[in-house]
Amino acid sequence: MNKTEYLAKLTNELGQMPYGDVKDIIGSIEEHFEEGIVEGRSEEEIAASLGDPKELAAEFKDGAKFKQIMKKRKMSDNFKGPDGRGRIFVIIFNAFVGIECWFILLCAIIAAFMCLAGDAAFIGLIIAGLITGVLTEFIVPFIFLILTLICVAVFLVVLLILGIKYYAKGLKSYIRWNKHVWNYGLGED
Amino acid sequence: MNSQIKKGILDLCVLALLEKGDSYGYDLAGSLARKVEVADGTVYPILRKLASEGVVSTYLQESQNGPPRKYYHLTDAGRKKLNSDREEWIKFCGEVNGILKQETGGKADE
Repeated sequence: MNKTEYLAKLTNELGQMPYGDVKDIIGSIEEHFEEGIVEGRSEEEIAASLGDPKELAAEFKDGAKFKQIMKKRKMSDNFKGPDGRGRIFVIIFNAFVGIECWFILLCAIIAAFMCLAGDAAFIGLIIAGLITGVLTEFIVPFIFLILTLICVAVFLVVLLILGIKYYAKGLKSYIRWNKHVWNYGLGED
Repeated sequence: MNSQIKKGILDLCVLALLEKGDSYGYDLAGSLARKVEVADGTVYPILRKLASEGVVSTYLQESQNGPPRKYYHLTDAGRKKLNSDREEWIKFCGEVNGILKQETGGKADE
């Protein structure tokens, strides 16, 4: 394995680590290669002595896990009961901003639903009119109108699916954030 | 030797290597791998962990013929940790040796 292959494999194995950490790690291993090359060793030789990139990545990941555990422990060490300010913040924020925002978004979703229902009803009416022969004189413009209305309907359906998905997602993380502030206060974290 | 046992004590070894003076990754990797049977790469995750704990600090320095080197420096907290961990390790080794020697002695008597 040469330097490029080794670094690529290591990057790949580090996987989901934050970009800055991966860059830092790859930087130090790249430095190791360059030092070895200056000493006159071959890339393959250096790669072999560094050890299996998979194992090395696992050691880096273990270290990162350790860091997280330490951080958590530090947080709970510093934690001195619920923070009164955090709770007041949650109540006031929800009373004046939070709940209103989520309600307005919910109204928007309901409005989109109603538009869709109206749109569908309109399409149904025109089709019924065309079939029963009431609108036969204007058949071409009404067909165009139906096509336009179908496009609007498709657009609304897509909008609703995405809207509901992100609404649920957003609401979930909003609630999580509220819980965190409620329990731990407004820390830097 | 069991790699789990080794892993725990390597942090202490790296701190001890830095006690003699600041050093860079490649040099530390060589020093460690020469004395203990580990891959050259092993030192890097350890250095990273030690840096995140604040027991070592890092700085960059140009070198004459190679790339700029990232140097590692033992902080005051690191020195303190090294001294207490070293003491503990030596004491523990003595105790373990006591048990192990007693055991082989017992066997020899039979």
